[in-house]
Amino acid sequence: MRPLLLLLSFLVTAPLLAQDAAPGWLEDSLYRGGKINAVVAVVAVIILGIGLWMFSMDRKLRRLEKEIKKPFDSAQGK
Amino acid sequence: MKHWWWKILAVLLLLGASVSALRTPLSPALVHVSPGRIAPGPVELTVTGYNTLFEQEGLAAHLENGGERLCATSVEALSPTVLKARFDVPQGFRESLTTLAVLDRTDGRLVMPGALFTNGTGSGAGISGCPEPNEELGLTKAFAFPNRAILYESIRNLCFHVPMWFAMITVMGISVWKSIRTLGSNSLDDDRAALQAVNVGLVFCALGLITGTVWAKATWGAWWTNDVKLNGSAVTALIYLAYLVLRGSVQDAHKRARLAGIYNIFAFILLVMFLFVVPRLNAVDSLHPGNGGNAAFSDLDLDDRLRRVFYPACMGWILLGVWMYDLRLRTARLQASLDR
Repeated sequence: MRPLLLLLSFLVTAPLLAQDAAPGWLEDSLYRGGKINAVVAVVAVIILGIGLWMFSMDRKLRRLEKEIKKPFDSAQGK
Repeated sequence: MKHWWWKILAVLLLLGASVSALRTPLSPALVHVSPGRIAPGPVELTVTGYNTLFEQEGLAAHLENGGERLCATSVEALSPTVLKARFDVPQGFRESLTTLAVLDRTDGRLVMPGALFTNGTGSGAGISGCPEPNEELGLTKAFAFPNRAILYESIRNLCFHVPMWFAMITVMGISVWKSIRTLGSNSLDDDRAALQAVNVGLVFCALGLITGTVWAKATWGAWWTNDVKLNGSAVTALIYLAYLVLRGSVQDAHKRARLAGIYNIFAFILLVMFLFVVPRLNAVDSLHPGNGGNAAFSDLDLDDRLRRVFYPACMGWILLGVWMYDLRLRTARLQASLDR
Protein backbone atom coordinates (compact mmCIF):
# COMPACT_ATOMS: atom_id res chain seq x y z
CA MET A 1 0.00 0.00 0.00
CA ARG A 2 2.98 2.30 0.52
CA PRO A 3 3.59 3.19 -3.17
CA LEU A 4 -0.09 4.01 -3.52
CA LEU A 5 0.08 6.26 -0.46
CA LEU A 6 3.05 8.07 -1.92
CA LEU A 7 1.42 8.47 -5.32
CA LEU A 8 -1.84 9.76 -3.87
CA SER A 9 -0.17 12.28 -1.58
CA PHE A 10 1.91 13.49 -4.52
CA LEU A 11 -1.20 13.83 -6.64
CA VAL A 12 -2.91 15.91 -4.02
CA THR A 13 0.04 18.26 -3.58
CA ALA A 14 1.28 18.36 -7.20
CA PRO A 15 -1.08 21.14 -8.34
CA LEU A 16 0.51 23.46 -5.78
CA LEU A 17 3.87 22.99 -7.47
CA ALA A 18 2.68 23.24 -11.05
CA GLN A 19 0.77 26.51 -10.97
CA ASP A 20 1.97 28.07 -14.21
CA ALA A 21 3.26 25.68 -16.83
CA ALA A 22 4.09 27.14 -20.24
CA PRO A 23 2.20 25.66 -23.21
CA GLY A 24 4.40 23.22 -25.07
CA TRP A 25 4.60 19.84 -26.74
CA LEU A 26 2.20 18.31 -24.21
CA GLU A 27 -0.67 20.68 -25.00
CA ASP A 28 0.00 20.28 -28.70
CA SER A 29 -0.19 16.51 -28.56
CA LEU A 30 -3.23 16.56 -26.29
CA TYR A 31 -5.17 18.86 -28.61
CA ARG A 32 -4.19 17.26 -31.92
CA GLY A 33 -6.66 15.13 -33.87
CA GLY A 34 -9.78 16.36 -32.11
CA LYS A 35 -8.23 15.69 -28.66
CA ILE A 36 -8.17 11.93 -29.24
CA ASN A 37 -4.86 11.72 -27.37
CA ALA A 38 -6.62 12.71 -24.16
CA VAL A 39 -8.59 9.47 -24.51
CA VAL A 40 -5.44 7.49 -25.31
CA ALA A 41 -3.75 8.90 -22.20
CA VAL A 42 -6.73 8.11 -19.97
CA VAL A 43 -6.98 4.53 -21.22
CA ALA A 44 -3.21 4.13 -20.77
CA VAL A 45 -3.41 5.40 -17.19
CA ILE A 46 -6.17 2.92 -16.36
CA ILE A 47 -4.36 -0.05 -17.90
CA LEU A 48 -1.13 0.92 -16.12
CA GLY A 49 -3.00 1.32 -12.83
CA ILE A 50 -4.71 -2.07 -13.08
CA GLY A 51 -1.35 -3.56 -14.14
CA LEU A 52 0.38 -2.15 -11.06
CA TRP A 53 -2.41 -3.57 -8.92
CA MET A 54 -1.86 -6.99 -10.50
CA PHE A 55 1.83 -6.80 -9.60
CA SER A 56 1.08 -5.93 -5.98
CA MET A 57 -1.41 -8.80 -5.83
CA ASP A 58 1.17 -11.14 -7.32
CA ARG A 59 3.72 -10.08 -4.69
CA LYS A 60 1.26 -10.74 -1.88
CA LEU A 61 0.51 -14.22 -3.16
CA ARG A 62 4.20 -14.98 -3.62
CA ARG A 63 4.83 -14.06 0.00
CA LEU A 64 1.96 -16.33 1.04
CA GLU A 65 3.32 -19.20 -1.05
CA LYS A 66 6.70 -18.86 0.64
CA GLU A 67 5.10 -18.95 4.08
CA ILE A 68 3.10 -22.04 3.23
CA LYS A 69 6.18 -23.76 1.85
CA LYS A 70 8.34 -23.05 4.91
CA PRO A 71 6.75 -25.42 7.48
CA PHE A 72 6.38 -28.04 4.73
CA ASP A 73 10.13 -27.90 4.00
CA SER A 74 11.13 -28.07 7.66
CA ALA A 75 8.85 -31.09 8.17
CA GLN A 76 10.72 -32.88 5.41
CA GLY A 77 14.03 -32.07 7.10
CA LYS A 78 15.32 -29.72 4.38
CA MET B 1 -20.35 -21.68 -12.73
CA LYS B 2 -22.05 -20.09 -9.72
CA HIS B 3 -18.86 -18.24 -8.83
CA TRP B 4 -17.93 -17.36 -12.35
CA TRP B 5 -20.92 -15.87 -14.13
CA TRP B 6 -20.54 -12.33 -12.81
CA LYS B 7 -16.81 -12.30 -13.49
CA ILE B 8 -17.42 -13.38 -17.07
CA LEU B 9 -20.12 -10.72 -17.27
CA ALA B 10 -17.61 -8.12 -16.01
CA VAL B 11 -15.11 -9.00 -18.72
CA LEU B 12 -17.73 -9.02 -21.46
CA LEU B 13 -19.19 -5.68 -20.34
CA LEU B 14 -15.75 -4.07 -20.16
CA LEU B 15 -14.79 -5.44 -23.55
CA GLY B 16 -17.99 -4.36 -25.26
CA ALA B 17 -18.16 -0.94 -23.62
CA SER B 18 -14.48 -0.12 -24.17
CA VAL B 19 -14.54 -1.13 -27.82
CA SER B 20 -17.69 0.89 -28.52
CA ALA B 21 -16.41 3.83 -26.48
CA LEU B 22 -13.30 3.94 -28.66
CA ARG B 23 -14.79 3.01 -32.03
CA THR B 24 -18.10 4.89 -32.20
CA PRO B 25 -17.63 7.86 -34.53
CA LEU B 26 -18.41 11.40 -33.44
CA SER B 27 -21.38 12.99 -35.13
CA PRO B 28 -20.52 15.64 -37.72
CA ALA B 29 -20.17 19.22 -36.47
CA LEU B 30 -18.84 22.62 -37.45
CA VAL B 31 -15.68 23.33 -35.49
CA HIS B 32 -14.14 26.47 -36.95
CA VAL B 33 -15.14 29.55 -38.90
CA SER B 34 -12.86 32.26 -40.16
CA PRO B 35 -13.02 35.20 -39.89
CA GLY B 36 -14.77 35.18 -36.52
CA ARG B 37 -16.21 38.68 -36.91
CA ILE B 38 -18.68 40.04 -39.44
CA ALA B 39 -19.67 43.59 -40.34
CA PRO B 40 -22.27 44.95 -42.76
CA GLY B 41 -21.19 44.38 -46.34
CA PRO B 42 -19.98 41.33 -48.32
CA VAL B 43 -18.30 38.64 -46.19
CA GLU B 44 -16.58 35.41 -47.19
CA LEU B 45 -16.49 32.74 -44.47
CA THR B 46 -14.32 29.64 -44.49
CA VAL B 47 -16.07 26.96 -42.45
CA THR B 48 -14.32 23.84 -41.19
CA GLY B 49 -16.26 20.77 -40.20
CA TYR B 50 -15.33 17.60 -38.31
CA ASN B 51 -16.49 14.21 -39.65
CA THR B 52 -18.63 16.07 -42.16
CA LEU B 53 -19.35 15.12 -45.76
CA PHE B 54 -19.85 18.46 -47.53
CA GLU B 55 -20.72 18.09 -51.20
CA GLN B 56 -21.71 20.79 -53.64
CA GLU B 57 -25.12 19.40 -54.42
CA GLY B 58 -27.77 20.51 -51.94
CA LEU B 59 -25.30 22.48 -49.83
CA ALA B 60 -26.70 25.60 -48.15
CA ALA B 61 -25.57 27.96 -45.42
CA HIS B 62 -27.27 30.72 -43.49
CA LEU B 63 -26.77 33.09 -40.60
CA GLU B 64 -29.29 33.45 -37.79
CA ASN B 65 -29.55 36.49 -35.58
CA GLY B 66 -32.41 37.59 -33.36
CA GLY B 67 -34.93 35.38 -35.17
CA GLU B 68 -33.89 36.61 -38.62
CA ARG B 69 -32.37 34.33 -41.21
CA LEU B 70 -29.89 35.37 -43.91
CA CYS B 71 -29.13 32.96 -46.74
CA ALA B 72 -25.68 32.74 -48.30
CA THR B 73 -25.30 34.29 -51.74
CA SER B 74 -23.07 31.37 -52.71
CA VAL B 75 -21.71 28.23 -51.07
CA GLU B 76 -18.79 26.22 -52.34
CA ALA B 77 -17.58 22.88 -50.98
CA LEU B 78 -13.78 22.83 -51.15
CA SER B 79 -13.46 19.42 -49.54
CA PRO B 80 -15.69 17.13 -47.42
CA THR B 81 -14.68 19.19 -44.37
CA VAL B 82 -14.13 22.70 -45.72
CA LEU B 83 -16.57 25.06 -47.39
CA LYS B 84 -16.62 28.70 -48.42
CA ALA B 85 -19.81 30.70 -47.95
CA ARG B 86 -20.42 34.29 -49.08
CA PHE B 87 -22.95 36.54 -47.38
CA ASP B 88 -24.21 40.06 -47.91
CA VAL B 89 -24.47 41.09 -44.28
CA PRO B 90 -27.16 43.77 -43.78
CA GLN B 91 -27.05 46.66 -41.36
CA GLY B 92 -28.90 46.30 -38.04
CA PHE B 93 -28.75 42.72 -36.77
CA ARG B 94 -30.22 42.71 -33.26
CA GLU B 95 -27.70 40.59 -31.36
CA SER B 96 -23.92 40.84 -31.15
CA LEU B 97 -23.45 37.10 -31.71
CA THR B 98 -24.61 35.52 -34.95
CA THR B 99 -25.26 31.81 -35.34
CA LEU B 100 -23.97 29.96 -38.39
CA ALA B 101 -25.87 27.00 -39.82
CA VAL B 102 -24.94 24.68 -42.68
CA LEU B 103 -27.28 22.29 -44.42
CA ASP B 104 -26.00 19.36 -46.41
CA ARG B 105 -27.44 16.16 -47.76
CA THR B 106 -25.67 13.60 -45.58
CA ASP B 107 -25.09 15.47 -42.34
CA GLY B 108 -28.36 17.38 -42.13
CA ARG B 109 -28.42 20.69 -40.30
CA LEU B 110 -25.16 21.62 -38.57
CA VAL B 111 -25.25 24.62 -36.24
CA MET B 112 -22.51 26.67 -34.66
CA PRO B 113 -24.32 28.82 -32.09
CA GLY B 114 -22.98 32.33 -31.52
CA ALA B 115 -20.11 31.69 -33.92
CA LEU B 116 -19.63 35.22 -35.22
CA PHE B 117 -19.13 38.54 -33.44
CA THR B 118 -21.33 41.02 -35.20
CA ASN B 119 -20.61 44.69 -35.82
CA GLY B 120 -23.21 47.27 -36.82
CA THR B 121 -26.06 45.96 -34.68
CA GLY B 122 -29.37 47.74 -34.63
CA SER B 123 -33.07 47.07 -34.20
CA GLY B 124 -33.46 44.38 -36.86
CA ALA B 125 -32.25 43.98 -40.43
CA GLY B 126 -35.70 43.45 -41.94
CA ILE B 127 -34.65 40.64 -44.26
CA SER B 128 -36.89 37.99 -45.75
CA GLY B 129 -36.84 35.48 -48.55
CA CYS B 130 -34.63 32.85 -46.96
CA PRO B 131 -36.65 29.62 -46.76
CA GLU B 132 -36.98 27.46 -43.65
CA PRO B 133 -34.31 24.75 -43.61
CA ASN B 134 -35.41 21.25 -44.49
CA GLU B 135 -35.30 19.40 -41.15
CA GLU B 136 -35.79 16.03 -42.85
CA LEU B 137 -32.23 16.02 -44.18
CA GLY B 138 -29.73 13.64 -42.68
CA LEU B 139 -32.23 12.03 -40.33
CA THR B 140 -31.10 8.48 -41.02
CA LYS B 141 -27.84 8.84 -39.17
CA ALA B 142 -25.60 6.06 -37.94
CA PHE B 143 -25.00 5.55 -34.23
CA ALA B 144 -22.59 8.30 -33.22
CA PHE B 145 -21.43 10.18 -30.12
CA PRO B 146 -22.34 13.84 -29.72
CA ASN B 147 -19.70 16.22 -31.00
CA ARG B 148 -19.37 19.08 -28.55
CA ALA B 149 -17.14 22.10 -28.90
CA ILE B 150 -14.07 21.93 -26.62
CA LEU B 151 -14.64 18.24 -25.82
CA TYR B 152 -14.57 16.75 -29.33
CA GLU B 153 -13.11 13.22 -29.24
CA SER B 154 -12.35 13.44 -25.53
CA ILE B 155 -16.07 12.94 -24.83
CA ARG B 156 -15.20 9.22 -24.98
CA ASN B 157 -13.47 9.65 -21.63
CA LEU B 158 -16.92 9.72 -20.07
CA CYS B 159 -16.90 5.92 -20.43
CA PHE B 160 -13.48 5.61 -18.74
CA HIS B 161 -13.06 8.39 -16.18
CA VAL B 162 -16.54 8.39 -14.61
CA PRO B 163 -16.82 4.57 -14.09
CA MET B 164 -13.67 4.78 -11.94
CA TRP B 165 -15.64 6.82 -9.41
CA PHE B 166 -18.67 4.55 -9.68
CA ALA B 167 -16.45 1.57 -8.91
CA MET B 168 -14.79 3.43 -6.04
CA ILE B 169 -18.11 4.40 -4.46
CA THR B 170 -19.38 0.83 -4.76
CA VAL B 171 -16.40 -0.73 -2.97
CA MET B 172 -16.39 2.06 -0.38
CA GLY B 173 -20.07 1.24 0.15
CA ILE B 174 -19.16 -2.41 0.70
CA SER B 175 -16.51 -1.22 3.11
CA VAL B 176 -18.87 0.85 5.24
CA TRP B 177 -21.38 -2.00 5.29
CA LYS B 178 -18.66 -4.33 6.59
CA SER B 179 -17.62 -1.69 9.12
CA ILE B 180 -21.15 -1.42 10.50
CA ARG B 181 -21.24 -5.20 10.78
CA THR B 182 -17.89 -5.12 12.58
CA LEU B 183 -19.33 -2.82 15.23
CA GLY B 184 -22.19 -5.24 15.81
CA SER B 185 -20.36 -8.55 15.57
CA ASN B 186 -16.87 -7.63 16.79
CA SER B 187 -15.69 -9.99 14.07
CA LEU B 188 -12.15 -9.47 12.82
CA ASP B 189 -13.14 -10.95 9.47
CA ASP B 190 -15.65 -8.17 8.84
CA ASP B 191 -12.95 -5.68 9.75
CA ARG B 192 -10.57 -7.37 7.31
CA ALA B 193 -13.20 -7.10 4.58
CA ALA B 194 -13.69 -3.38 5.30
CA LEU B 195 -9.95 -2.76 5.04
CA GLN B 196 -9.56 -4.66 1.76
CA ALA B 197 -12.51 -2.79 0.26
CA VAL B 198 -10.88 0.54 1.16
CA ASN B 199 -7.62 -0.66 -0.41
CA VAL B 200 -9.37 -1.41 -3.70
CA GLY B 201 -11.42 1.78 -3.46
CA LEU B 202 -8.22 3.82 -3.19
CA VAL B 203 -6.89 2.23 -6.39
CA PHE B 204 -9.97 3.46 -8.23
CA CYS B 205 -9.76 6.82 -6.47
CA ALA B 206 -6.17 7.24 -7.71
CA LEU B 207 -7.18 6.22 -11.24
CA GLY B 208 -10.14 8.60 -11.14
CA LEU B 209 -7.94 11.48 -10.01
CA ILE B 210 -5.22 10.88 -12.61
CA THR B 211 -7.62 10.36 -15.52
CA GLY B 212 -9.48 13.45 -14.30
CA THR B 213 -6.36 15.61 -14.41
CA VAL B 214 -5.58 14.41 -17.95
CA TRP B 215 -9.09 15.20 -19.11
CA ALA B 216 -9.02 18.55 -17.33
CA LYS B 217 -5.79 19.46 -19.12
CA ALA B 218 -7.38 18.66 -22.47
CA THR B 219 -10.61 20.58 -21.85
CA TRP B 220 -9.95 23.29 -19.25
CA GLY B 221 -6.25 23.79 -20.04
CA ALA B 222 -5.06 23.06 -16.50
CA TRP B 223 -4.22 19.86 -14.66
CA TRP B 224 -6.07 21.04 -11.60
CA THR B 225 -8.50 23.84 -10.88
CA ASN B 226 -9.75 24.93 -7.47
CA ASP B 227 -13.12 23.48 -8.24
CA VAL B 228 -15.36 22.11 -5.47
CA LYS B 229 -15.71 18.76 -7.19
CA LEU B 230 -11.96 18.39 -7.70
CA ASN B 231 -10.97 19.52 -4.23
CA GLY B 232 -13.76 17.40 -2.78
CA SER B 233 -12.39 14.29 -4.46
CA ALA B 234 -8.86 15.10 -3.27
CA VAL B 235 -10.09 15.55 0.30
CA THR B 236 -11.97 12.25 0.03
CA ALA B 237 -8.73 10.53 -0.98
CA LEU B 238 -6.97 12.06 2.04
CA ILE B 239 -9.77 10.95 4.38
CA TYR B 240 -9.38 7.35 3.25
CA LEU B 241 -5.59 7.55 3.42
CA ALA B 242 -6.07 8.70 7.02
CA TYR B 243 -8.15 5.56 7.57
CA LEU B 244 -5.08 3.46 6.72
CA VAL B 245 -2.87 5.64 8.93
CA LEU B 246 -5.34 5.25 11.82
CA ARG B 247 -5.29 1.47 11.43
CA GLY B 248 -1.51 1.45 11.43
CA SER B 249 -1.37 3.33 14.71
CA VAL B 250 -3.46 0.94 16.84
CA GLN B 251 -1.80 -2.26 18.04
CA ASP B 252 -4.68 -4.21 19.57
CA ALA B 253 -6.67 -5.95 16.80
CA HIS B 254 -10.13 -5.70 18.40
CA LYS B 255 -9.64 -2.10 19.42
CA ARG B 256 -8.40 -1.35 15.89
CA ALA B 257 -11.44 -3.01 14.36
CA ARG B 258 -13.88 -0.90 16.42
CA LEU B 259 -12.00 2.38 15.95
CA ALA B 260 -11.57 1.83 12.21
CA GLY B 261 -15.23 0.83 11.91
CA ILE B 262 -16.43 4.05 13.51
CA TYR B 263 -14.00 6.17 11.48
CA ASN B 264 -15.08 4.46 8.27
CA ILE B 265 -18.71 5.39 8.80
CA PHE B 266 -17.72 9.05 9.13
CA ALA B 267 -15.42 8.73 6.13
CA PHE B 268 -18.25 7.42 3.95
CA ILE B 269 -20.60 10.17 5.05
CA LEU B 270 -17.90 12.72 4.16
CA LEU B 271 -17.38 11.01 0.80
CA VAL B 272 -21.07 11.42 -0.03
CA MET B 273 -20.90 15.03 1.19
CA PHE B 274 -17.79 16.01 -0.74
CA LEU B 275 -18.60 14.20 -3.97
CA PHE B 276 -22.36 14.65 -4.21
CA VAL B 277 -23.82 17.21 -1.84
CA VAL B 278 -21.37 20.12 -1.64
CA PRO B 279 -20.65 20.37 -5.42
CA ARG B 280 -24.40 20.44 -6.12
CA LEU B 281 -25.21 23.29 -3.77
CA ASN B 282 -26.58 26.21 -5.72
CA ALA B 283 -24.21 28.59 -3.98
CA VAL B 284 -21.08 27.11 -5.52
CA ASP B 285 -19.83 27.34 -9.06
CA SER B 286 -18.26 24.33 -10.66
CA LEU B 287 -16.71 23.65 -14.02
CA HIS B 288 -17.30 19.96 -13.60
CA PRO B 289 -20.34 18.65 -15.48
CA GLY B 290 -23.29 17.80 -13.27
CA ASN B 291 -22.45 20.29 -10.50
CA GLY B 292 -23.10 23.85 -9.34
CA GLY B 293 -26.03 24.40 -11.65
CA ASN B 294 -23.92 22.99 -14.46
CA ALA B 295 -25.54 20.47 -16.75
CA ALA B 296 -24.19 16.94 -16.84
CA PHE B 297 -23.91 15.27 -20.20
CA SER B 298 -27.58 14.41 -20.08
CA ASP B 299 -29.70 17.33 -21.25
CA LEU B 300 -28.78 19.14 -24.43
CA ASP B 301 -26.05 16.95 -25.81
CA LEU B 302 -26.66 13.60 -24.36
CA ASP B 303 -29.66 11.78 -25.40
CA ASP B 304 -29.29 8.05 -25.15
CA ARG B 305 -26.34 7.67 -27.46
CA LEU B 306 -23.60 7.98 -24.85
CA ARG B 307 -25.70 6.29 -22.19
CA ARG B 308 -25.92 3.11 -24.20
CA VAL B 309 -22.15 2.76 -23.82
CA PHE B 310 -21.73 4.56 -20.48
CA TYR B 311 -24.02 2.35 -18.35
CA PRO B 312 -22.49 -0.97 -19.46
CA ALA B 313 -19.04 0.54 -18.84
CA CYS B 314 -20.03 1.55 -15.29
CA MET B 315 -21.50 -1.88 -14.64
CA GLY B 316 -18.34 -3.56 -15.93
CA TRP B 317 -15.98 -1.45 -13.84
CA ILE B 318 -18.12 -1.88 -10.72
CA LEU B 319 -18.05 -5.66 -11.18
CA LEU B 320 -14.28 -5.55 -11.74
CA GLY B 321 -13.90 -3.53 -8.54
CA VAL B 322 -15.92 -6.08 -6.57
CA TRP B 323 -13.84 -8.85 -8.13
CA MET B 324 -10.60 -7.12 -7.10
CA TYR B 325 -11.99 -6.71 -3.58
CA ASP B 326 -12.90 -10.41 -3.57
CA LEU B 327 -9.32 -11.40 -4.53
CA ARG B 328 -7.82 -9.09 -1.89
CA LEU B 329 -10.13 -10.39 0.82
CA ARG B 330 -9.43 -14.05 0.02
CA THR B 331 -5.68 -13.39 0.07
CA ALA B 332 -5.99 -11.56 3.40
CA ARG B 333 -8.00 -14.48 4.85
CA LEU B 334 -5.33 -16.95 3.77
CA GLN B 335 -2.70 -14.72 5.36
CA ALA B 336 -4.72 -14.55 8.58
CA SER B 337 -5.19 -18.30 8.77
CA LEU B 338 -1.44 -18.74 8.31
CA ASP B 339 -0.62 -16.19 10.99
CA ARG B 340 -2.83 -17.95 13.50
